[in-house]
Amino acid sequence: MNLKIVALAVSTAFALTAQAQDKPKPPPAWHQGKPPAQAESKLAPHAGKMTETPASQIPVSKLKAPKGFKVELWASGLPGGRAMAVSEDGKKVWVGTRSIGRVYEVTDEGGKRSVRTVIDKLNQPAGVAVNGGALYVFAIDKVLKFNDIASNANAQPEDLTAKFDLPKEQHHNWKYVAFGPDKKLYVPFGAPCNICELPSDEYAQIRRYNADGSGKEVIATGVRNSVGFDWHPKTGELWFTDHGRDWAGDKGFHDELNRLSKAGLNFGFPYCHNNGTPDPDVKKEKACEGMAKPALLLGPHVAAMGIKFYTGKMFPKEYRNVAFIARKGSWNREKPSGFDVVTVRVGADGKGGKITPFLTGFNESKEAYKFWGRPAYIAQMPDGALLVSDEQVGAIYRISYGSAKPAAKK
Amino acid sequence: MQAPGKGRWAWLAALFVSSFAFSQGERLSQCTACHGPDGNSVTQGVPSLAGQPQLFLENQMILFREELRRSPVMTPILAGMKDAEIVALAEHFSKLKARPVAQSPSDREVARKGEALAKKLRCGVCHTANFQGQKQMPRLAGQREDYLVSEMLAYRDGKRSGGDTIMAAALYGVKDEEIRALAHYLSRLP
Repeated sequence: MNLKIVALAVSTAFALTAQAQDKPKPPPAWHQGKPPAQAESKLAPHAGKMTETPASQIPVSKLKAPKGFKVELWASGLPGGRAMAVSEDGKKVWVGTRSIGRVYEVTDEGGKRSVRTVIDKLNQPAGVAVNGGALYVFAIDKVLKFNDIASNANAQPEDLTAKFDLPKEQHHNWKYVAFGPDKKLYVPFGAPCNICELPSDEYAQIRRYNADGSGKEVIATGVRNSVGFDWHPKTGELWFTDHGRDWAGDKGFHDELNRLSKAGLNFGFPYCHNNGTPDPDVKKEKACEGMAKPALLLGPHVAAMGIKFYTGKMFPKEYRNVAFIARKGSWNREKPSGFDVVTVRVGADGKGGKITPFLTGFNESKEAYKFWGRPAYIAQMPDGALLVSDEQVGAIYRISYGSAKPAAKK
Repeated sequence: MQAPGKGRWAWLAALFVSSFAFSQGERLSQCTACHGPDGNSVTQGVPSLAGQPQLFLENQMILFREELRRSPVMTPILAGMKDAEIVALAEHFSKLKARPVAQSPSDREVARKGEALAKKLRCGVCHTANFQGQKQMPRLAGQREDYLVSEMLAYRDGKRSGGDTIMAAALYGVKDEEIRALAHYLSRLP
C-alpha cells in the first residue's frame, strides 16, 4: 500500500514506525484523521453478522411506518445481504454482500420465497445490477456477468474484470452499481482512506461504462464514498448519496445527497465538504472554489446508502417521485444517528429538500447504540411495493400500502 | 399419527445419531482434540478458544467455511457446517475460562517492552484495556505466544486472508522482535 497519508493521523498513535521510512505507514482507515481530542475514543465500526438470523429472531413488529403502510418480513437467511437487483418480471431479486463474499438469489415462488447462493468466495461482491437477462456482479477486484440467469440457474459467469480497469487499493472500493436510463453501467470508486490526498486519480469518483466495459468515462470527481444512486424520474439526472468523512466530531461532517446536473462536476473531496467547509486536515488554497454543493445534507455520520425515487402506483400520490433513502446508521458518533429509512422531498433542481423519517425502530434508543437491524438498500417491485434490505440480520422487508395484496407467508 | 412401536424407536434412534453423536459430541471432540478439552490449547501453533468473544469465533468459523480465511486444516472441518452449529460451538467456547498456557520462561524485560508497545500501538482501543476482546475483536490476553507471533507476522506481511484490513495496517512496519515482545506480554496476561 502506498497511500500518501495525512501526517497528523499517524503522528501520535502510530509513530512507532519511524524506522520504515521507505514508505509512509497506512494507519487503519477508520483511524485516519483522528484529532487529538478524540485520540482516546473507542468508537469503531460496528460488527456485521455473518450467520443466519432465523425469521423468528427478527422483530419486524418493532418497525414503524406511516399510517396505512404495512411492513412485513419478505425474505430472510441472507447474511450480510445489502444491494438488490430485481429481474424485469419481479420474480427474482439478486442480493450482494460484503465480508461473507456471496451473492444470493431470492425467488418469489407464488407467495413464498426461496433463497440460494449464486456465487461465493468473492472479495466483497457488493455490487449487483441487471441488464436485460444478465446479472452483473462487482466484487472489489472482479467483475462477473451471468447471462440469462433468470431462466438458467446454472449460468456460468463470464469474467469481465480486465475490461473495467479496477484500481488496486481496496478500502471503500466495494461497490454499488446500476444501469442508467442511458443503458450505461455506473460504477463508483471510493477514496481508499477516511481522509487523504488521493494516491492516484483513479479514486473518489463515479464512472460510467458501456455494458461490455468499453467507453470508460469519469463523470464525477471529489466523491468520497458513494454506495447508492438513482436517476430522477423527471429529469433523468443522476442523484447519489455520499458518505462524509469521519473523526470530525458528532456534528460533522454530513453525508450528502448530490445531484449530477452535468458530467464532470467535482464534489470537493478531500479539500471541501458539505456546503463549503474546507477540510481541517487536507488543506489547499481556495479549497471550495468551483466545487459542486450537495442538494441536501443527510445528517452527520448517518451512513446514507441506497436511494430510490418512487415511481410506483401503489403508494399514495404524494409519494410519487419522492426519494426514499436508507440511512444504515452511524458508528463514528457518541450519539447514534440514522438507523432508518427517510423520504426526501426535493425539487428536481435540487432545491427545497426536506427529510422525513419513514421507517424507524431499528435502533431502540435515541441516546445509545441499541440497534438490532441496519437498513441498507431499497428496491421497487413491479407492483409498486418497496423492498428494504437489512444488512445486520440478513433480511428483506416488504413495504406495501392500503389494500394491496400482502405477500403470502414465507 | 405414528403408531407406537418399532417405527418410532427407529425414528428416535436416527434423531439421536444425527443430532447428538454428530453435531454436539463429535463436533466438539473434533475441536478439543487440538484446541484443548477446556478450550485452552496446549498444541503448538493452535490457538486457545476459551473466553474468546462469541461473535469473533463465529466470524472466524464462517471465514474458514467460506474459504475466505484459508486453512487446509480448518476448512475441511467447517465445510458444510450449518450456521446454527457454528453459533452453538462459538457460544460454548466463549463461555469457557481462558487461562494462559506457559510456553517459555518469562522475561520481564521483554514483557515490559511488549506492554509499552501495546500502549503505543493502542491495541486496547479495540481489544479492550485488559485485552479481553469484544464482539468481532479477539481476546489477546492469555492467547498462546507462538500463535500470537505467527498471526501478527502474517497480518503484517499481508498473508492472513479473510476479515478486515485493519490489522495489517495496525502492524505495518512493526519489527519482528517487537511482535515477539507484544506476544510475550499478551500471552501472560490473565
